[in-house]
Amino acid sequence: MSSHHQAESDIALRVKAIELLLVEKGIIDPATLDTIIDAYEHKIGPHNGARIVARAWIDPEFKHRLLADGTSAIAEMKLTGFSSEHMVVVENTPNIHNLIVCTLCSCYPWAILGLPPTWYKSFAYRSRAVIDPRGVLQEFGLEIPEQVEVRVWDSNADLRYLVLPERPPGTEKMTEDKLAGLVTRNAMIGTAKVQSPAAPID
Amino acid sequence: MTAAQAEELLRNGLSCRAENDTFAQFQVGDCVRARVMHPQTYTRLPRYVRGKVGIIVKDRGVYVFPDTVGQRLDTKPQHVYSVQFAAQELWGTNAPANDTLFIDLFDDHLEAV
Amino acid sequence: MNGPHDIGGMHNMEPIPIEENEPVFHSEWEAKVFAMSFATFGNYFPVDETRHASERMPPGQYLSSSYYERWLYALELLITEHNFVTKAEIEERINQLAQSKT
Repeated sequence: MSSHHQAESDIALRVKAIELLLVEKGIIDPATLDTIIDAYEHKIGPHNGARIVARAWIDPEFKHRLLADGTSAIAEMKLTGFSSEHMVVVENTPNIHNLIVCTLCSCYPWAILGLPPTWYKSFAYRSRAVIDPRGVLQEFGLEIPEQVEVRVWDSNADLRYLVLPERPPGTEKMTEDKLAGLVTRNAMIGTAKVQSPAAPID
Repeated sequence: MTAAQAEELLRNGLSCRAENDTFAQFQVGDCVRARVMHPQTYTRLPRYVRGKVGIIVKDRGVYVFPDTVGQRLDTKPQHVYSVQFAAQELWGTNAPANDTLFIDLFDDHLEAV
Repeated sequence: MNGPHDIGGMHNMEPIPIEENEPVFHSEWEAKVFAMSFATFGNYFPVDETRHASERMPPGQYLSSSYYERWLYALELLITEHNFVTKAEIEERINQLAQSKT
């Protein structure tokens, strides 16, 4: 983690002062802040992206539309929103592994995956994902075979990216909802694969 | 911003697409060089691609130009392209031969090779 | 700008801080900084102006600050530059709050 020059309590005091001033001056409304915080803490998150992935796994026509034009296919599911206005979905295959980063800040498809985790926002990830993606993936426990092409997507502009992970074996009979339950946030950024469901216990 | 406006923004976002089409300087398949430029102002062209040669793989359409919008100047709408660079073009021969990097660059970030 | 934000390809960063079951915000102030910034996107400042504001942080400070500390810096820079509040008003309010706590 980054070292902190200021004590947490000092920062909290500073933020409180700014909040009080902006509210008093009518620039922000406390109810608006509550709405925004509640949306990202409780409503928006990787479960949205997982639904998109599961749909693509069971519906080949949807998958085709999703890969051809992510924005309009995601709009069909009414899952677009702020910081996901222009979406590109990239597919992992046995020959291609995709990894998403934003080197200049931490651009991320907020409406689809929620706010990014600390690791995605870290200097370590932002700096190394482009120059050493395989080393980064190893830190996540993912060894990509030499013959597989690693494709890094730097989301420096206004497009936001989502990885369509490979559907794991042993999931052929699962429903869309159950499939969505397997899909993790990291799998949709490219730092994990979707695991097969645990073998049933006899 | 009211709470209702926040909900609207959360749901609908803010489109960065420009209304009008403009001339595309490049076509899919073109070899392009990311310009060598070091503006002291805002830019979305990172240093690690400047001067490097890649290939246009997709025209993403016309978007407002963040480099000027971030300074409250013109929206300067222009085409955005997905440009593919070989990892070895960016990082030298120690990089894996098959790995690649894709980045979205604007007309003003690119020159013909 | 060749600022501290443009770090693609930099070496010798710390290991990637992977945190299991991470909360969306780690403290109330982070949530408030985020929400105040969000509430000003579109209303007052283009998102790109907000991004650039954090890039204007001095490099040493940028690289030793957490994500939401950088957002706080950007928010404070923009609200003072656009004369919504003055730096003096912020400092004065901080002092008042500190005194009322003791």
